[in-house]
Amino acid sequence: MRLESPPAGDSTSDARSGVIGAKDRPDDLAGASDQQIVAWANAGREDAFHEIVRRYERPIFSLLYRMVRDRALAEDLAQETFIKVLNGIRSYRPEYKFSSWIFKVANNAAIDHLRRRAIDTLSLDGAPDARTPDEMQSTALQLGDERGESPLAELESRELGGQIDRAIARLRPEYRACILLRHVEGYAYEEIAQILDLPLGTVKTYIHRARNELRDYLGPVRE
Amino acid sequence: MAMQNEPSTPHLTPAEFELWAEGLLDTTRTMHLADCAACLTTGERERRLLRELVQLPRFAPEFGFVERVMAHVRVPTPSGDFRAK
Repeated sequence: MRLESPPAGDSTSDARSGVIGAKDRPDDLAGASDQQIVAWANAGREDAFHEIVRRYERPIFSLLYRMVRDRALAEDLAQETFIKVLNGIRSYRPEYKFSSWIFKVANNAAIDHLRRRAIDTLSLDGAPDARTPDEMQSTALQLGDERGESPLAELESRELGGQIDRAIARLRPEYRACILLRHVEGYAYEEIAQILDLPLGTVKTYIHRARNELRDYLGPVRE
Repeated sequence: MAMQNEPSTPHLTPAEFELWAEGLLDTTRTMHLADCAACLTTGERERRLLRELVQLPRFAPEFGFVERVMAHVRVPTPSGDFRAK
């Protein structure tokens, strides 16, 4: 995975991140800004590391889950994200927004995985080296409910089987990341440009196109 | 000759549709929607889409996630070393 430098921003966490289970934690942790938590982590407070994970596990896992649509894989990528961020906490610079940094690491993990998967084999028609119909079928990309009958697949189908999530799944990964960061996580366009390392104009274009595609996917059955 | 029902102001841009859906578009531009059925239809679809996106649920990883992460994290000591796990 590539190395990320923290993008610019302020010291607050995003609007939807919230504080999970705040009543169970010391007052100084529950009410502290991200910057303060990071400062405590750098000073060796282990509970500050726990707090960072608790604060961001849901938004980061949700983003990754919607990016890769595989619960176990999303959890692996989320774990990889947190380990990388927490072990690199000393390289974090407080003038940057912490939430943008952690979302950047998570998004890169998802995009790296999706690129690897695309190169490895998976396509709607099966692996490039598949020679028989059986080989093609066994290596083809499986979408949504067609994936199987395992309990995990059923859970994924229940969680991501709604019309809007199925429409999001049909977007290009770059569009998917933009639309999730903008309209689910509530990031400003400028922050998304920093998180994704894209020019601001490109982010605006991606989000505009993604919304058009989503409206088209959803339109026929909603009107 | 001007077409009948042609709005007197330019159509809304994608950014303006987003602002309108969020209730943040200025009054002058909002007035355009009263004139333009096409923009009103697009705006209403946009508003429904954004509402659905905002309402998407958050998911949680499996129980014990924090502990699984922390098993791989080196906590620094004030002296700059790392605490042994």
